[in-house]
Amino acid sequence: MSRRQAGWLLCLPALALLTLAFLWPMAILARMSLNETSESGMLVETVSTATYVKLAEDAFTWQVTRDSLVLSAGCATSALLLAYPMALFLFRTRSRWRNLLAIAAIAPLLVSGTGRVIGWLAILGDGGMVNAALHAIGLPTQHLINNWTGVRIGLTESVMPYTVLALLAGFGRLDPRLEEAAATLGARPLRAFWRVTFPLTLPAVSAGWLLAFVLAISAFVTPHLMGGGRVFVLATEIYDAATQTLDWPAAAALSIYALVLLLVLMLAHGTLSRRAAA
Amino acid sequence: MRPTLIATLTAALGLAAPLAPASADPARLLTYSGVFQDNYTDVVVKPFNAKGAAKVEYVGGDTSASMLGQLRTQKNDPQLDVVIMDATTAALACAEGLVEKITPAMMPVLDELDPQARSGGGECGPAVTFDHLVIVYDSRAVVPPPTSLRAMWDAKWRGRISVSAPPNIQGLALTAIMAHADSGNWRNADGAFRALKDLAPSVQTFDPQPDGYNLILNNTVTFATGWNARAQLYHDRSAGRVGVLLPSEGTVFQINTINVVKGAHNRDAALAFMAYALSPTAQKAFTERMYYGPTNSHAQIAPEAAARTAAAAENKARVIPLDWNEMIKLRDSWNQRWRREVISAATR
Repeated sequence: MSRRQAGWLLCLPALALLTLAFLWPMAILARMSLNETSESGMLVETVSTATYVKLAEDAFTWQVTRDSLVLSAGCATSALLLAYPMALFLFRTRSRWRNLLAIAAIAPLLVSGTGRVIGWLAILGDGGMVNAALHAIGLPTQHLINNWTGVRIGLTESVMPYTVLALLAGFGRLDPRLEEAAATLGARPLRAFWRVTFPLTLPAVSAGWLLAFVLAISAFVTPHLMGGGRVFVLATEIYDAATQTLDWPAAAALSIYALVLLLVLMLAHGTLSRRAAA
Repeated sequence: MRPTLIATLTAALGLAAPLAPASADPARLLTYSGVFQDNYTDVVVKPFNAKGAAKVEYVGGDTSASMLGQLRTQKNDPQLDVVIMDATTAALACAEGLVEKITPAMMPVLDELDPQARSGGGECGPAVTFDHLVIVYDSRAVVPPPTSLRAMWDAKWRGRISVSAPPNIQGLALTAIMAHADSGNWRNADGAFRALKDLAPSVQTFDPQPDGYNLILNNTVTFATGWNARAQLYHDRSAGRVGVLLPSEGTVFQINTINVVKGAHNRDAALAFMAYALSPTAQKAFTERMYYGPTNSHAQIAPEAAARTAAAAENKARVIPLDWNEMIKLRDSWNQRWRREVISAATR
């Protein structure tokens, strides 16, 4: 057996699992999207692109797409801005508490998404801890949940631990001797950071942002529980179509649309990253 | 479409439930879990099983939509025998051939039912419970008790209102009630949407989590939309703090129908249970336990329990004759109008 054949053989279990757990269900989903829903809500088995046409002609679909992209990009950027200094500190510190601090940074992952959101509802609610504190010091209270603000806060928090992990992985290739060389040549710490450290961490920044973006655009629990019925994104529309209006073809078509949209964005990101690296 | 195809899709949409092996006995009843399961088991399922002729096993489901998902999944090999679900969803199951058509010849108890119970289920299973839309409120804060929906428009409740907006059927029901009050025709909703747009800035949430009753109890909101049976339960559990209002503008029924699954392995037991569930005995027991309106006209409900359901003559007179099958055809249009005219006017 050649090395090439052995390689394929080793990949076989993973390929089989991928086919069974992802590709086959996606094929079924694609097939369902070609069915139709009658005016009375009945599932009509057919082969038609009518559901896609209906969605494409609905201005609301484009508005939801735009809102989903803007929300996800904003949350990914916020998460990155918050995670970067934290990850850099964790990477550089020689404290004996380093591992404990790293665990603390990703601790939210140990709690279920729903549990975290319920915690946010108690903290950010109209009568929650934040507003109680604002009221106590004489400042006007703020509406921090049941709107886009709440969803932005919740989503940023939920994707931030993944961003920290992606940055820490990327920082592994950062050579501290380069910063020392910059300092030896007279660069102040801030200048050394901007001219040496930051450019070297750009691949990690790019990967961390993309990971956060992908997680944010596919998130359902946070927009659903913290949006107060005011926040419509692709994931909530798919949920409503599947479980409320029982329009399975629309739910399937929206799922396929979201998948294609994400693939196109990831390909664009990959192309841009390669060009930047070149 | 092949059954495996639908099964896999259902799993992909998260609607599948664990499948149980087919069995000859007992019949498997799928319906709502939680307090409905606790109470229905106590006063209907256990007495039926105690009779000994046949047995029923309760399978706790989630929403009617997820129950329909299971029926679609199991179309060619049903693992369930009886299903109690919302009438609009049951109508789809009936149209898709997932449940049996029932006639008085098969089920003589049908002749004892309220006419709306028969029409609510169409050719398939009839209504087994009536519920109706109510407004729940914090009785400590709202004094004197309100009588009209208009109480929610008072500026002092700004930010203290919870409304379950469409596609939740509570939002559709509220719109229909307001349309009927405005124009005398629940289908003509222009006036209702104008009024809802005025209410929108006062609404804290259009998707209460976990529900309006709990938001009142934890002092998050003062008014919320709800269903009577649950509202009465929370009223009792909260020692009266959750007030229940059947508005002067009227209300609409939410109907649950009972259906025998087509091709059920335990059809005889399923039919026997259906007959028992519709009987005056079971109807009386469940109404007096959970305040769902009885669908059997022969059920002799205790006056104090009847007064808390739509069975009381005074309450029944305020039920608007809404056809949910017709409503389904308006649902998409109303859903869009809520988003564009109401929710968009309610930025926070």
